Amino acid sequence: MTRTKRKRKPAPSESAVLVTNGLRREYGDLIALAPLDLQIAPGELVALVGANGAGKTTLLAIIAGLLEPSHGTIRVCGAPAGSLAARAETSYIPDTPIFYQDLSLGEHLEYVARLHAAPDWPRHAASLLEQLGLAQWGDKLPTQFSRGMRQKASLALGFIRPFSLLLADEPFDGLDPASRGALVEMLRAAAASGAAVIVSTHRTEVADISSRCIALHDGELVYDGPPDQAVVAGHLPPRDDPLLGAEVGEPGPAPGAR
Amino acid sequence: MSADAAAWDAHEASGLEALRDLRAARRRRYAEQIDWIENLYRLYLGVIFGGWGLALISGALADVRVDRHAVEQIHRYGPAALGMLVALAVAGGLRSGARGGPLVLEAADVQHVLLSPVDRGAALRGPAVRRLRTAGFVGVVAGLIVGNFAFRRLPGAPAQWLFFGAAFGGIVAELGLASAMIASGRRIHRGAVLLLSVLIAGWSLADLFGHRVTSPASMLGALALWPVHHPGDSFALPAVGVAVAAAAVGIALTGLAGTSLEAARRRAGLAAQLRFAVTTQDLRAVILLRRQLASEIPRSRPWLRLAPAEGPRRAVWRRDWQSFLRWPPVRVVRVCVLGAIAGLALLGAWRGTTPLLVVASLALMVAAFDAVEPVGQEVDHPTRLSLLPVAARDVIRRHLVASVVVMSAVLLIAAVAATAAGAPAQLVGVLIVIALPAAILSLCCAALSVTNDPYAYALAPQIGYVQSGLPVALVIIGVDAPVFLAREAARHGSSPVGAAIGAEFVVLLICWGVVAWLGHRLAKSSPVRS
Repeated sequence: MTRTKRKRKPAPSESAVLVTNGLRREYGDLIALAPLDLQIAPGELVALVGANGAGKTTLLAIIAGLLEPSHGTIRVCGAPAGSLAARAETSYIPDTPIFYQDLSLGEHLEYVARLHAAPDWPRHAASLLEQLGLAQWGDKLPTQFSRGMRQKASLALGFIRPFSLLLADEPFDGLDPASRGALVEMLRAAAASGAAVIVSTHRTEVADISSRCIALHDGELVYDGPPDQAVVAGHLPPRDDPLLGAEVGEPGPAPGAR
Repeated sequence: MSADAAAWDAHEASGLEALRDLRAARRRRYAEQIDWIENLYRLYLGVIFGGWGLALISGALADVRVDRHAVEQIHRYGPAALGMLVALAVAGGLRSGARGGPLVLEAADVQHVLLSPVDRGAALRGPAVRRLRTAGFVGVVAGLIVGNFAFRRLPGAPAQWLFFGAAFGGIVAELGLASAMIASGRRIHRGAVLLLSVLIAGWSLADLFGHRVTSPASMLGALALWPVHHPGDSFALPAVGVAVAAAAVGIALTGLAGTSLEAARRRAGLAAQLRFAVTTQDLRAVILLRRQLASEIPRSRPWLRLAPAEGPRRAVWRRDWQSFLRWPPVRVVRVCVLGAIAGLALLGAWRGTTPLLVVASLALMVAAFDAVEPVGQEVDHPTRLSLLPVAARDVIRRHLVASVVVMSAVLLIAAVAATAAGAPAQLVGVLIVIALPAAILSLCCAALSVTNDPYAYALAPQIGYVQSGLPVALVIIGVDAPVFLAREAARHGSSPVGAAIGAEFVVLLICWGVVAWLGHRLAKSSPVRS
């Protein structure tokens, strides 16, 4: 996947793509995210892990500018999250695919690419559809797709535009093994091209390719370090976890097989 | 301009162009799918039958024209009284805006457009203008209907009443919506919104008591009553009101960029559900979703804590009061205002404007939808209701007792409002007679509405329409007929209270029938069979 560096309004020079200071989010009495200080550098591929309700989606939505922090600051490429400049640099793939009812997948790709002034988007769109096994589905309505197809269409929309920061919320959900493999490659390529990538996941494939793991528990940062140590610390399941056997890359043993 | 800035501007322009192209393409696609002949025919029928129906009803009512003294009173108090309505519209708009309203976007627009590097103000202007246009149209139609009734009782040319009624309706609708957009786009804090609302309403109230026209809201009221202006009156004041409203719309449209995405996303999801609920005529779902849209949630701390009690005695009664004591302030205010509106409308009808009877009964029915909440909660959990060691119809009847007390309080507010506005003793007597039956009937009909199964007549929608419309028709008949008969009795020298009492026997019979039908329906739809 090629990524184009965009010219943007002058921003303070910094090496980190994402910087959060004392980031905190509350819903009434509930603390969804305790004060969080983070720095993510270009080229980092971060696995964001944690149990359900740990605050992963809240954190990603705040970085994307969809939610506002109750306290603290957050900057993407030097610009406040949610600002025009930050939006130009941030691609957010939500946990639930969102589409227009009356646009085909191809029209969605065209629209998002044009909104972000993506260069050479027709060629890029064709390549993405090919990678994700959607080449025959470009003129179909994604609202009529199956769960897995919708997820793949959503991924395509996240990758069609240029970005310096990619936020993917549970992107592996509903994908078949081949598509999971394709997604792993796309994430790896995005990081290799210099983008910072944060993937919220429960899956071990990401741990294999990520350079860093961040674990949240009840809104608090409980781990920030190498992914292998996260497995040791119990924040990520081991790759041979029998409960995940059917979900990870390799097919699990057939029921009843010895 | 630096090269970077120029590149940025070009990029932004390209995004806006994409946005314009997409919207134009979607409009074209939508237009292609419309059967224009069919829709124009429907519109034609609607206008013809609606217009004729309205003219026929308003002519048939043959309401008497007001005397010179009444015209003078209208001239004196009318602008400020209508100004209070304008102030309420603005306050309602500000409140809605402080909670993320009034724009309802598609979830896909929030995800793909508002998260893209396109100026949000420009992206939101289209939906905002469409919303203003729709609200303005609805306001104009409402103004035309009111103007149609006004020229039959008041002096002044019919064309003038229709024109200024339409203008007032349209402008007030736009002003209310613009207030919401200002509060939402400029992120006005809820506390500031409350303060602002109190100030605006207070200014109009001061105008009302001082017989002056100083606030822009009263100036718009003067616009509506221009057909009865004195020869020496200047049009400058109404013009200022219009200018203020236009300025508000301008300010609203230039400040949309600050709209909260969090609220937009939440409202997008709720609005999609709401549209579906409206399509299926699922009134209970509509009420619940509307409350969520308005962020109208029960208080975590009740207004008053009930003393602890033990044993099953009066468990339903207690549960109901625990529910009422958690009403958010806005619901308390709304129900009180609806009660006052009902009282004032009954007074207006008593004095000769018969169509106001419908306003009064509808106000009571809307209040009853809040008062019947405990029944709604039971219906939301049918299995739990079925597992109780008491018949469902008995539980529902017990729920209605506390709700009747609340509705009686609403009727009391109506009586107080009518008395404060100068209701004659005869009307007060009639209001006392109708209070309890009207409370029971409006509650029963509200309960009937919220327990409707929206899918029961999916294959026979006509029956579904009757099922949805019947409770409203019953309330209109049951509340209005006794007052109408009492008024006619008073006009012909008979006892109005006697006429009302006679009519109330029929109303109570209707109530009995509705309660019996409600119990039968609940027993039939119970998921657990005994």
